[in-house]
Amino acid sequence: MNSYSDPPSGTASPITRLVEAFHRLPGIGPKSAQRLAYHVLRAPETEAKDLAEALMEVKRSIVLCERCQDLTSESPCRICLDLSRDRTSICVVEEPLDVRAIERTRGHHGLYHVLHGVISPTDGIGPEDLKIQELLARLRDIDTEVSEVIVATNPNLEGEATSMYLGRLLRPLGIRVTRLARGLPAGADLEYADDVTLGRALEFRQEVQ
Amino acid sequence: MHLAHLSLTNVRTFRKLELDLRPGAHVIAGDNAQGKTNLLESIALLATTRSSRPGPDADLISWDASAEELTPVARLAAEVEARAGEVTLEIAVIGGERPRMDAPLATSRRFRVNGIARRASDLIGQLRVVMFSADDLRIIDGPPANRRRYLDITNAQLDPAYVRASQRYARVLQQRNSLLRRLQERRAKPDELDFWDEELSVAGAVLLAGRARSLQQLGAHAAERYIELTSPEEPLEVCYRPAVPDDVAEAFREHDLAGRFRAALEDGRRDDILRGLTRIGPHRDDVGFLIDGREAAASASRGQQRTAGLALRLAEVALSTERTGEAPVLLLDDILSELDPQRRERVMQAAYGVDQVIITSPDEAHPSQVELPGARRYHLRSGALTLLS
Ligand SMILES: [Zn+2]
Repeated sequence: MNSYSDPPSGTASPITRLVEAFHRLPGIGPKSAQRLAYHVLRAPETEAKDLAEALMEVKRSIVLCERCQDLTSESPCRICLDLSRDRTSICVVEEPLDVRAIERTRGHHGLYHVLHGVISPTDGIGPEDLKIQELLARLRDIDTEVSEVIVATNPNLEGEATSMYLGRLLRPLGIRVTRLARGLPAGADLEYADDVTLGRALEFRQEVQ
Repeated sequence: MHLAHLSLTNVRTFRKLELDLRPGAHVIAGDNAQGKTNLLESIALLATTRSSRPGPDADLISWDASAEELTPVARLAAEVEARAGEVTLEIAVIGGERPRMDAPLATSRRFRVNGIARRASDLIGQLRVVMFSADDLRIIDGPPANRRRYLDITNAQLDPAYVRASQRYARVLQQRNSLLRRLQERRAKPDELDFWDEELSVAGAVLLAGRARSLQQLGAHAAERYIELTSPEEPLEVCYRPAVPDDVAEAFREHDLAGRFRAALEDGRRDDILRGLTRIGPHRDDVGFLIDGREAAASASRGQQRTAGLALRLAEVALSTERTGEAPVLLLDDILSELDPQRRERVMQAAYGVDQVIITSPDEAHPSQVELPGARRYHLRSGALTLLS
């Protein structure tokens, strides 16, 4: 780990700074961070420049859609503006990647809402930390046509806690709240479910208790 | 049931071990620190997925592999022949990186049953073992956590629903306690507890009912075994002390156990929030052992505690056989040498009642040919086994 040394001034060397930056990324341990940093160091300058520009570009140009909270380069996003989509149903998902997974099944023709997480007290995440107020605002909008909310959170404890919370919150608004059928393997991530299984779970959705 | 083959790769002291096993007795002799206990623990791990020694999973990976390989893997595999058929079990402990230089390797586990990736709960119970060790008296005289651990490992091998419930209970409890602390800091609303209370009571009811049922049977067997092991005869009483209010405990055999547990959780919310933790439930259960009507942990001699531990293991063999109709594999970790002839005789009797027993001993001559005729004998040295007879 300490095969490089810091300059005597005491400020972190550029390579230390890069190693630490990689180490802060999810799933990157110190060894991998070191390997990545040395890879960048040895790579042609264009590769480093591409990486740096891609990182900056993504921060500059990607925003949250003001309606569905999905990641988009323009707000409202393409799906929210698509007039051919069914405006009576909203599919609620944990993360932007889940929107892509459900789109692949072609089983949902309505709109989406991205929560950006699930209820998990251990991780310090309560309902107020999710995009639930934004969802409520959409449902309370005078022009809303939404009659069904499909909760497509992952089939694990935290996903279930979130779907039950949403069921209790939304049912008094006269909205039907459903949940993906139990076809998905327990503990599996929506993101990795195959299209057929996910499509079937969507088709045979059930009322949230 | 019996183990037909055991294979260990990079497991603690074993770089590579392939061992064919038959029904009957096996004696593995060797000096201390040659890996005798590691061998039996590996078998127990394949049965229960729990390590009997505390410590990080990284400790299971052999030191050589951790030092030499970028992705070190400890692999444990067993072929089991049971009445229901043959089954192969495999656990791989995969070493990743160190989160910090002074921390143990991050590890993950992979489970396979008949070559197909499965969850831990699918593996548990396919091979059933009862392991006797000198540490068994810690169940009697140690902290309550030891007794809950004993209950969990014993019940898990007998009931897949118990395994699933205990995994879920642990996760729900952690979430509920975190939420209680958030409530304490007024960063959440009390009705956010509803979901976790419901889940905790459903999973908790499975644990409470499972423990009550198996302790009743275990207690009866243990009392019989204890009387046989002592002279003059002394009575041993095993009593379940569930950490729930009386009205919940009274419902152990009824359908509304979960409902009553849930109501008790709701009643206790205010105090739970004040304390920032869940004060009732199977995570705080205990088991009392009374010898001659007195608490064994406080007032029994070390010899009595040791005998109670032995009686409990013998009771476990009986319970496992009774519940499944098939005897478990016995693992005796160097316990025979310290028993007097009368107690050794009782353990040997239990050993004759099962398909397979694997015994470790510091001395090749013990247990003797007379005591254990027909045993296959091995010598273990530096992680390598040699067949002696
Ligand atoms: Zn949108």
